[in-house]
Amino acid sequence: MEAAMLNRISIKPLLFGLLRRLPMPWIAILVGLIAGLAIWSVLDQIQSRQVDKIFGQELRVQLDLRAHESLMRFERQLADYAAMTRLLASHRRLSEYLEPLSWLEKDRFIPLVYKGFRPDWLPDIFDQNELSPPRLILLTDAWGQVREMFQSGEEPAPLATRVDTHLLERRGLRSLIEHIGERLYLLSSHPIEDANGYPMGHLVVLVAIDHAFLAASLHGLDLERAAVAIVDSDHQRIVASVNANALMPGTQLSDWEDTYEMTLQPLPDYEGAASSPLFATFVPHAAVERMSRHVRIFERRQRFIAATVFVMVFTGVIYLVSVRLNKVLKRMTRFSQRALGIADPGFHRGGNQLLLLEDWIKHFTQLVLMAREEMNRKHQAAMRESEALKVAMMEASLDALVTLDHAGQVIEFNPAAERRFGLERQAAIGTSFAAQFLPRDTRPAFRRLLDRSRHLRRAPQGRIELLALQTDGTEFPVEISIALIELEDERFYTLYIHDITSRKQAEQEIKSLARFASESPNPILRVSADGLIVYANTASRPLLLAWQADPGMRLPEAWGDDVALALGTGQPLEREFDIRGQIYSLLFAPIRDLGYVNIYARDITAVRHAEQESRQHQAELVHVCRLSTMGEMATGMAHELNQPLAAIVNYANGCSRRLQGGAGETEALIGAMTQITAQAKRASEIIRRLRALVGKQPPIRAQMDLNHLVREVRSFLEFETSRLGLQINLELDATTIPVQVDLVQIEQVLMNLIGNAFDALEDCPEAQRHLCIRTGTRDGDAWVVVEDNGPGIAPEHLGSLFDPFVTTKEGGMGMGLAISQTIVDNHEGRIWAESEPGHGASFHMTLPLAQTPGQPASNPENHWKPK
Amino acid sequence: MNTDATVFIVDDDQAMRTSLQWLIEATGLAVQTYESADAFLASYYPGRAGCLLLDVRMPGMSGLELQSHLKRQGYRLPVILITGHGDVAMAVKAMKAGALDFIEKPFHDEDLLRSIHYALAFDQKHRAHDLARTEIAGRIADLTPREHEVMALVTEGQSNKEIAATLGVSAKTVEAHRARVMEKMRAESLAELVRMALLVASETALS
Repeated sequence: MEAAMLNRISIKPLLFGLLRRLPMPWIAILVGLIAGLAIWSVLDQIQSRQVDKIFGQELRVQLDLRAHESLMRFERQLADYAAMTRLLASHRRLSEYLEPLSWLEKDRFIPLVYKGFRPDWLPDIFDQNELSPPRLILLTDAWGQVREMFQSGEEPAPLATRVDTHLLERRGLRSLIEHIGERLYLLSSHPIEDANGYPMGHLVVLVAIDHAFLAASLHGLDLERAAVAIVDSDHQRIVASVNANALMPGTQLSDWEDTYEMTLQPLPDYEGAASSPLFATFVPHAAVERMSRHVRIFERRQRFIAATVFVMVFTGVIYLVSVRLNKVLKRMTRFSQRALGIADPGFHRGGNQLLLLEDWIKHFTQLVLMAREEMNRKHQAAMRESEALKVAMMEASLDALVTLDHAGQVIEFNPAAERRFGLERQAAIGTSFAAQFLPRDTRPAFRRLLDRSRHLRRAPQGRIELLALQTDGTEFPVEISIALIELEDERFYTLYIHDITSRKQAEQEIKSLARFASESPNPILRVSADGLIVYANTASRPLLLAWQADPGMRLPEAWGDDVALALGTGQPLEREFDIRGQIYSLLFAPIRDLGYVNIYARDITAVRHAEQESRQHQAELVHVCRLSTMGEMATGMAHELNQPLAAIVNYANGCSRRLQGGAGETEALIGAMTQITAQAKRASEIIRRLRALVGKQPPIRAQMDLNHLVREVRSFLEFETSRLGLQINLELDATTIPVQVDLVQIEQVLMNLIGNAFDALEDCPEAQRHLCIRTGTRDGDAWVVVEDNGPGIAPEHLGSLFDPFVTTKEGGMGMGLAISQTIVDNHEGRIWAESEPGHGASFHMTLPLAQTPGQPASNPENHWKPK
Repeated sequence: MNTDATVFIVDDDQAMRTSLQWLIEATGLAVQTYESADAFLASYYPGRAGCLLLDVRMPGMSGLELQSHLKRQGYRLPVILITGHGDVAMAVKAMKAGALDFIEKPFHDEDLLRSIHYALAFDQKHRAHDLARTEIAGRIADLTPREHEVMALVTEGQSNKEIAATLGVSAKTVEAHRARVMEKMRAESLAELVRMALLVASETALS
């Protein structure tokens, strides 16, 4: 029992493993084959037996039939001879032959023998009847004595003298099969009469029943497959056979039982006195076997085809099922991968789909269970978390949290409450909140709050500011809000108690701070969004007078717009207000969330005056600086002036020489004169420029094109550039760049920068000197860059480049760049230097683009900003 | 005076250029003007007679540079420099570099014209000298190597016998060579032959 168990345990997984690995179609084929084989083997057993049985019966019938047929033919042969006997006996020739004869019993005679020739009484009928002539035809008298005899062969006649009368039938035909001697004969007799109807005796025909006779009787039958023989029933011995070689006469029947199938039939009509012959039909066993084998093979083939068809159909059906299963599996895999995020369950290796399906379902179920477990776990974790959170909230809350039951007894008391009220949680729980923590006079208010919170349910929470009582008896202000928790059978109140001591103090503080504004010596005002003056301190009286407004009234419209602007942008706004010489700076500070603008004013009259003076000083300084630049350039200008003057002298001398020599053609002379005029104009233009550069002009701003300005400066410096043998390359913006500038000042800056570049380039070989001026616009600014490829500026100098009295030049004042910076700053621009030592330096200047082209220069005072 | 002589003016200032042309043409001289040194170099070929009027300060190749360039090329064109006010240092530099004269702007027309005439005369004289030297050089080139050797030794002052000893030939042969040399060089006397040799030698030394 145990061994069997073990066996089962060890075999089962092996079997399953094998099954798992085999794909369904293979199993289908295997099962089909096994089933087919089983069915076939069982059927073969049963059916073979059945077939044998049927075949045996059939064979028996067949053999019987054949035996009957053979017998019938044999009997017909016998009957034919009997009929012939009758015919011969009753033939006219015989009766006529007998007419004259008379046979007596006592007669002594020798039977007349016809040998080799036919007697008269014997008509020639044998050839016609296809019967072989009988061996012996006898004519006997009424007593059986042979009177005449016809012998067809040479053999001695078996009956020579007499025929036993018991063999003869007096009334008619009689046929017998008799042993005569060793041989068997058909003895057929018929009474004979003469012409007058007198009975004369008998005609006896004797035919040997030998193989020839049998063969003749079986004419047309296949002798190979069957043989016939006459058997002596007494001795069970073959007397005559159709094939004497195969079945020797005289042999015992039992000798042939192994070889042949025998059928014995009696011949009752022809039984003689001495013999009782049997007609035997022999069919060789071999033939029967052969036939039976043929039938069996045929049958088996049929069964085999049937089994094959069965296997194929069975396999086909299972294959189709497995294909379908495969599809289902694939679909499920795909579904599981997409919808459930289950990784490939590992069916790719193939195998038995049914088992795979089972595996998959197991896997899927497991996953679902796992997912459920996971959810459960998560849910529990979330529960625990929320619980912990609640506790943590209670613990960490800065406000005191107290939970009361419906009667107002404390049932929960958090650490903040412990700290605030100075009472341990254990001690607090169970006490009445109102009695313990509220002074007597606030208790009714608290009670009202509780009631109200019950009526108001959840929505607006009851909220109240009260005085609460510490255990040591000190009172402190708190704000209490109540949340009602209504359960089915119980009602709780959660109190959030917020200590507002500090808030109260802050309120006090703010109230005292509010007095600051009113005490300020500078005007401070608050204006609402629609320009209404909300507040104005006492110092703002001059402003209010100028506006002709009082608190509660509106500001004049222009100032109201500024208020709206400051509120709109959210950026503070600065404005100046000149009240009969008194200049105020007004700062509009928007407070957007309140919709107010605070205006802080300040008297800046004194500051303005100081600025004005400083600006004048600066302008003078600028001029001085310009003069110094001019001094540096004077030599160059003088040379430039020399050019037209020399040309004029040459033309004039040329003219006078021609006129003296009388060779002067009028047209040529006029051309020369024209040239003289042009050169004189050129000289005067140079002088004009010189004056413009040197002359002191008040700062005037006008809108002009920065590109034009650059070109102008270049023309001033033409002499210097040719002296240095370099060209100033201009890379100017394609369009005009409108800037609102003081022409002379900006030109001065540019000349300064270019002059610096010249100085820097002086040490360079002449062919390598490059100076480039570029202009452009960017982000609402115009920019100019003066770039040279001189030695550059050392990094330590870059920082202090624009400081006054800092110079790297021998004869320099160190004012050029400082003045330039002042000028550019006044124009709200920027100026800076960049340099890569050894590769040159670039000076950048930006100026704000003029906003609206063509606008006349506004009062320059407005653009001035103190530094 | 050579009538082919041309006054070449190189000045970047158009007014200066044309006014100078106007002035100089009034004296009947041919004038050609160029706005830069490069333009001048592009059209000038050696052998043209004349003088060069150069502005010292010019963009591109300056007057001084052009002058030294011409000298390097071996052109003997006389150069007059025109300088501006305060360019005296530069003028001195130019004179040291071989300029014939310099004139300071603004100048008197007489001074300029005198300077030009002097320059043209200088040029012509040099040109004639050069011509003679070229011819003698041509004659020397016609001599056979042996005749060349003989002439060299004769002009060194050696006697026929000394020459025969140096060359390893007979005095009679030297005599024949010497007669051939005198004939080929078209020298009337030994003194003339020596002068010719000196002229060519100085040329060789100069270049």
